[in-house]
Amino acid sequence: MPRRGAFGRRLLVVLFLGGLVASVLPWWRDTPTGSLTGATAMTTAAGQITGLVAGYLLLVQVLMMSRLPVLERWAGGERIARWHRDVAATLLVAVLAHVALILVGYAGLEGRSPFGQAGVMLREYQDMVSAFVAAGLLVLVGLVSVRAVRRVLPYELWHAIHLAAYAVLLLGYAHQFSNGSQLFRPGPVRTGWIALYVLVVAAWLWGRVVVPLWFNLRHRLRVSDVVVEGPDVVSLYLTGERLDRLDLLGGQFFRWRFLTRGCWWQSHPFSVSAAANDRWLRLTVKVVGRHTQDLRNLDPGVRVWAIGPSGTCTAAHRTRERALLIAAGSGITPLRAMLEELPPGAALIYRARTPADVLLQEELDWLSRNRGLRVWYVFGSRDDPGPRQVTTPDGLRQLVPDVARRDVYLCGPPGLVEQYRQVLRQAGVRRRQIHLATFAL
Amino acid sequence: MRRAFFAITGLAAGTTALVVLKAAPGTGHLDQAVPIAAPSAADEPAPTTSPEATPSKARSPKPTRSATGASRSGAGAASKSPAAARSGAADPQPTSTILGPVVTNEFGDVQVRINLVGDRIVNAAALRLPRRTAQSDQRSDQVDSRYSGTVGMVVERQSADLDTVSGATATSDAYRRSLQAAIDQAR
Repeated sequence: MPRRGAFGRRLLVVLFLGGLVASVLPWWRDTPTGSLTGATAMTTAAGQITGLVAGYLLLVQVLMMSRLPVLERWAGGERIARWHRDVAATLLVAVLAHVALILVGYAGLEGRSPFGQAGVMLREYQDMVSAFVAAGLLVLVGLVSVRAVRRVLPYELWHAIHLAAYAVLLLGYAHQFSNGSQLFRPGPVRTGWIALYVLVVAAWLWGRVVVPLWFNLRHRLRVSDVVVEGPDVVSLYLTGERLDRLDLLGGQFFRWRFLTRGCWWQSHPFSVSAAANDRWLRLTVKVVGRHTQDLRNLDPGVRVWAIGPSGTCTAAHRTRERALLIAAGSGITPLRAMLEELPPGAALIYRARTPADVLLQEELDWLSRNRGLRVWYVFGSRDDPGPRQVTTPDGLRQLVPDVARRDVYLCGPPGLVEQYRQVLRQAGVRRRQIHLATFAL
Repeated sequence: MRRAFFAITGLAAGTTALVVLKAAPGTGHLDQAVPIAAPSAADEPAPTTSPEATPSKARSPKPTRSATGASRSGAGAASKSPAAARSGAADPQPTSTILGPVVTNEFGDVQVRINLVGDRIVNAAALRLPRRTAQSDQRSDQVDSRYSGTVGMVVERQSADLDTVSGATATSDAYRRSLQAAIDQAR
């Protein structure tokens, strides 16, 4: 199986930084050296810079959520989600700084108070009402995405609010061209900035509409069976057409939409929990919320709309020959799917609360007998001696002496994954050898 | 999240650095843009000159431009701000239009027209600009878009003290001279 390296990801980072420089460049060229004298001019200039940066970052944010196949392939859905979060924090700060600096700067130029200036801009400047609304929405979207806030909100509500980000794109558009010092004049800069918008919208349509349409018309997935794996875990078996032509790697996920009443409007990412074969797909889901509860009662024959595959936590992305997999709870499912694609000699540490919580045990036992997989089941909660021992560098080395020379795949609750990431770094595993399959933001 | 922290720090540092860099070579100038309107504001009833009434009196400043390097007055005053352009208040004051002289340089002729409301320049337009070659055409466009219009640098600065458009020194200079003559005539 051909390896998929980090080249694409680095290229994306370089493109991103290049775009960032290019978006501030018009300001740099328009502003003669030595022309910024006095606090007012400087404040206004800083407001212009942060505005350009914010405009650019907003486009990047939408682009990252476009599900463009090339992005999913080069960076992977999980990593893009993490980038999206980091860029979001920066974008929020940039927008707030832009608003504050421009208000203070213009107020200084025109001899008003910043609040008076806000009133004047709302009344007299073109497109500023929508721009202020856009800024307000962005702050709202940012606030509900703060981890502590998000945790208490139902996912559906959070998601609905988050969709307001598209309104931000729309409402914030016009004021850039009617008031932006670098953009209001016709010319290459203005044209380029508009082209950027066109590109991002095209990418979004391509990734969200064209590619999924093509994929789903081609494969026509349906639920064929729902199997109870444990007290609150079910496996869904899906069949479809041309599954042999599916470009799926073990460890990847799709975003699934089950087309029944009450489910069709929600899309959720779940990993595929079995290696690719030409007859069926399987996903194994832990019941945690309303949506997953409904999945238990799916009838065979229900149509499924899928977007993917996505994810870089696969055997093809490893940098070393051998691998160590660490799973906790239902985190076993993506790792299970990649086991067949790893060369013999892989090791698996599987943490579960009790033996009854172990999922897919027959398959793991079969793999351990036939594919040279070494499996350790570690039972107990976080503070029991067994689990404590395997979350220390020494404990890991005892089980897997060559851990530093392996790629390590982690999947489980975010806290545990983070803990293991630190332990692994202490045990001498380099950062690029560690692969995370968490989807949490 | 750690990356976000770095990114935000980078944003703050980057913005500050850019602003400081652009402010750097402290040419120690006080606000040069301000004084123009102040002194003569009260007494003159601002001549209501129609465009035809003021043919180019051709007070032509010498068309020869020997020292190109001399026009390094580029270190102007305030930053360009669209805000400054927005102050065209409701006006009882008379409006006037004044034509500057034709200034000739090695690329062609430049002539500037300004519109005033009372003492305040509210619009500037270039009636003639060098258009002999594609390159000079392009440069003229740059000069025109930077200086002219109701939100251009002329209106913003209210004076002929304009930053030189890089790559179009001669045309910038000719524009300024025609403009200066028009302003002199207005006051």
